[in-house]
Amino acid sequence: MILSSSPPPTGERERGLSVASTLRSGVISWLVTAILVVISVVTLYPLLFTVINSLKTRTAFASDPLGLTWDITFENYVETFRRMDFPRLFLNSVVTTAGGLLLSTVAALFLAYAVTKLRIPGRNLIFLFIISMLVIPSQIIIYPLYETILDLGFGGTYQGLIFAYAAFGLPISTYLLAAYFRSIPDELLEAARLDGAGEIRILFSVLLPISAPAIAALSILNFVWMWNDLLLPLVILGGSDKKTLMVGVALLSGQYDVSIPLISAGLVVALLPVMVVYLFFQRLILPGAVSGAVR
Amino acid sequence: MADAVSELRQSSSPGRADSKRSFTHREAIVGLLFVLPGLTLAILFKLTPLLRGAWLSLLETRGFEDPTFAGLSNYQAMVRDPVFIQAFRNALVAFATLPIWIIFPLILAVLIFQRGPGWKFFRAAFFLPYMIAPVVVGIMFRQILAPDGALNAFLRASGLAPLAIEWLNGSDSSLLSLTAVALWSFFGLGVLTYLSGLATLSEEVIEAARLDGAGYWRLLIHIIIPLIKPVMGYWTVLCTSGLLIWMFPLIYALTKGGPGNSTMLPEYLVFTTTFQFMNRGSGAAIGMALFVFVALFSAFVVRRMYVEGSGKSE
Amino acid sequence: MNVTPLGDCGRGRGFFRTALSGLVIASAMTLASYSAHASDVTTIKVLNWQPGGAKYWAALVAAFEKANPTIKVELETVPNDKYLEIQGPYITTKSGPDVMENNEGLELFDRRRAYAKLPPDVLEAGKDLLTYSGGCLNFDTTQACYGLPLGFQGNVMYYNKAVLKQAGLDPESPPKTWDEMTAACKAVKAIGKTCLALGMMGAFPAYWDFPEVARNYLTEDDMRAMLAGKLPWTDPKMVSILKGMASITEDGWANSSAPSITMLPDGADIFQSGNAAFAGTIISDAVNWAAFGAALGDANLGAMKWPTIVANAPLADKFSGSESSVFGVSEWSAKKDAGFAFVKWIAGKENAALLTSIAGGISLNKNVDKSALPKSQALSQILKLIEKPTLHAGALLSGQESDALARGWQEVSLGHLTVEEWTQRMQAALAASPGKR
Repeated sequence: MILSSSPPPTGERERGLSVASTLRSGVISWLVTAILVVISVVTLYPLLFTVINSLKTRTAFASDPLGLTWDITFENYVETFRRMDFPRLFLNSVVTTAGGLLLSTVAALFLAYAVTKLRIPGRNLIFLFIISMLVIPSQIIIYPLYETILDLGFGGTYQGLIFAYAAFGLPISTYLLAAYFRSIPDELLEAARLDGAGEIRILFSVLLPISAPAIAALSILNFVWMWNDLLLPLVILGGSDKKTLMVGVALLSGQYDVSIPLISAGLVVALLPVMVVYLFFQRLILPGAVSGAVR
Repeated sequence: MADAVSELRQSSSPGRADSKRSFTHREAIVGLLFVLPGLTLAILFKLTPLLRGAWLSLLETRGFEDPTFAGLSNYQAMVRDPVFIQAFRNALVAFATLPIWIIFPLILAVLIFQRGPGWKFFRAAFFLPYMIAPVVVGIMFRQILAPDGALNAFLRASGLAPLAIEWLNGSDSSLLSLTAVALWSFFGLGVLTYLSGLATLSEEVIEAARLDGAGYWRLLIHIIIPLIKPVMGYWTVLCTSGLLIWMFPLIYALTKGGPGNSTMLPEYLVFTTTFQFMNRGSGAAIGMALFVFVALFSAFVVRRMYVEGSGKSE
Repeated sequence: MNVTPLGDCGRGRGFFRTALSGLVIASAMTLASYSAHASDVTTIKVLNWQPGGAKYWAALVAAFEKANPTIKVELETVPNDKYLEIQGPYITTKSGPDVMENNEGLELFDRRRAYAKLPPDVLEAGKDLLTYSGGCLNFDTTQACYGLPLGFQGNVMYYNKAVLKQAGLDPESPPKTWDEMTAACKAVKAIGKTCLALGMMGAFPAYWDFPEVARNYLTEDDMRAMLAGKLPWTDPKMVSILKGMASITEDGWANSSAPSITMLPDGADIFQSGNAAFAGTIISDAVNWAAFGAALGDANLGAMKWPTIVANAPLADKFSGSESSVFGVSEWSAKKDAGFAFVKWIAGKENAALLTSIAGGISLNKNVDKSALPKSQALSQILKLIEKPTLHAGALLSGQESDALARGWQEVSLGHLTVEEWTQRMQAALAASPGKR
């Protein structure tokens, strides 16, 4: 019986692929590349658009919204840093997002493990309950959520936002991890148990490494929405000096004063940490080039 | 290793019954402890507000005056409201595009999985749109989809002039455009998700099938898809909630539900009802209707995945 | 059984450590900032969307604290488009800020239970203002007043003299009546430019364009009846207003993209880039006269009233002015005296000077030094126009009505809706408005 749930070592995979590619005709692979290139252009152009606009003056943008300009200015970036207390806001974002991400991943790990591998009463019900929490529109719970946060005494605190982020990220995380865990055969865990390992040890030494791709995908997903979110930080932290970076960026546009170049600059600045996190985690999703798991 | 495991199982059968019983008891306690943190979070920050919201939907709220109990009158008014009906009709139309949301990223993920030239670049490029905040996406695409914007310029230049319509002005084309922009935003996430699912596939099984002479489509449909069904189920639920809930910032940035109500979706209607119309009770009622609709569909998907999952053998 | 490279676990632990230390540092910083507040100083929390910009507000707070050494101001600034979402829960939980901001008129009146009535000594400051009725119930300064305004806002028709000249029109004598405008638009379109740069998305059209057409048909008494919900949309006067708005696109004044773009920034950008002859937009805050002047050249920019449909209507010559930001003290505040001091200062002369010099806003204070204002023809034209203010019809619309007005206008412009159907929708919106029953 093949224990197929762990990524095979690099060498075998690459050998397998090269066999496969000779079977396909060269024309198809060029077509594939062409399609991928076209789609990349469609996805990259708007980002390019944002970066180019961040280097334009307001009047230059008004006269030519979609084009290039040779008149490059950094005034938008200067203004962004001047208006926002960047270090403080950045710290706020990092603390709350990292905290929320960590808490939701850990809680989801425990939950997913318990629901798929341990025999507890009503585990299916618990699982369905957690998943159904995913589909609650945030607009309808904004008033009650604020009341609940106040009742718990978390108004205006980092931990309030961290808990809210964790609670909102929990259903997705649990779902994906449960999907992963379910495909891992029980025998693997039995063996570990017979070796004398406790449940926590099994979770962290056996399941965690196997689900590294899932955790990486989850971390990226959760990090991006938590970092970009406006509603929760505003409701829980208000406009205080604990506000997050994205709130600061949103404040770059006033009621009537909407300068696209300025907003673009703010967004590029807010985007950089996300890109860093993405680059950090994406290596885990397809562990091809990494030296790989030791057998 | 496999042999050792089956040996162990055989040899320890007689004594297993005892250890199994006490094991189960300990397991249940540990399990419940594991479940506790997540459950607490979900109950405190999601269930409690949801129940309070459900209670709110039964109240008549006139601005900020004290609310009065109104039973189901919010719901009755809701189903008679033409805007509500249009919003849900639009939601069903958007829903009909769900198959594209599910299949398109999968195809791309499989293509990238082949590790052709520049696969890392493509993977990163496809993911970028998800990272861009909706307000900028809205502004960008208003320019791109304008009657004399980039898209129409491109269409005219490639001889497809009849297609160069006023994308955001038409009632159907605006909804189509909104859905397309949403897909543009989210598909990269799907590619990433599928890639992580494909990463766990056994190379041996795929190789065996290939050597058996399976063509590309046979491979995809009969081998790969069944193996990553759990991930597909997960992505389907994510797309459903994405289409019906997370699309709100995009609607706000791109069309605000307009022109008229052609891109009005229930999640946006909740927003306008609660905050612009100052009617929290009605807003909560619409939100509850939306929640029930999406929850039922998601439960259906999850259950199917369950049947697959528990019946699956390796 | 595979053993993970130690790297994975180590990274996880390192991550945890970083997060934990981050939390500790953050908590320490918070505690430090709390201890910095002395006990003989009252700190008031002001909820606002920063009208006029961040620089102006920094100067405002500094100047206020200098004039009132026992009061410290803690700003809680949220983006304007999220303001109502954030303010709402504060109101229902009766907690949070001491001073709040709202737009005048119905937006404020619908929230009056959250505000404390202004005492007479604060109202004294209102006497220096051109008008402050927008913060008073029913626009009547003899009734309860809940806030004082920051500045003056309203709509004018900007015009690009170069484009007019190019179209063969007299740049010093732009169209004054609706028919003259239609003729001018034909000429402008003949040279390939947009006549009126317009954006209909969102709440802008209802709030800012509606009053300019409404002034042709309504009197101030009509407007008060509108506020009370006593003037139905089926009334011939109201239908005429809707017809007037519909004719803007019928007569081909606007760009074809109007129904699906915003006025700010999309529409304003069309004008600012020199591609349109006219733009009907606001006078203050975004300093359109300053921004347009900078882009097109001050000498090239003019500002006038919107063209009239009924030239001799009672309000045809007046300016629909809106006190765009009204500040009041929240009902639940424990620091009402400090809050009232802030509100009084907002309406004062010192703030007026700051508003115009830093934010380029138009102040309501009669005592502000006009010579210190920038020299721009458009600005002087605007200042002349605002000398005869009247009620702002946009502030009289409920949330339902402005929503139905904007969406209806979009659909009528696209030919998807008739004016009769639009009227029915407006009437239904009025019936559903909680403040007007």
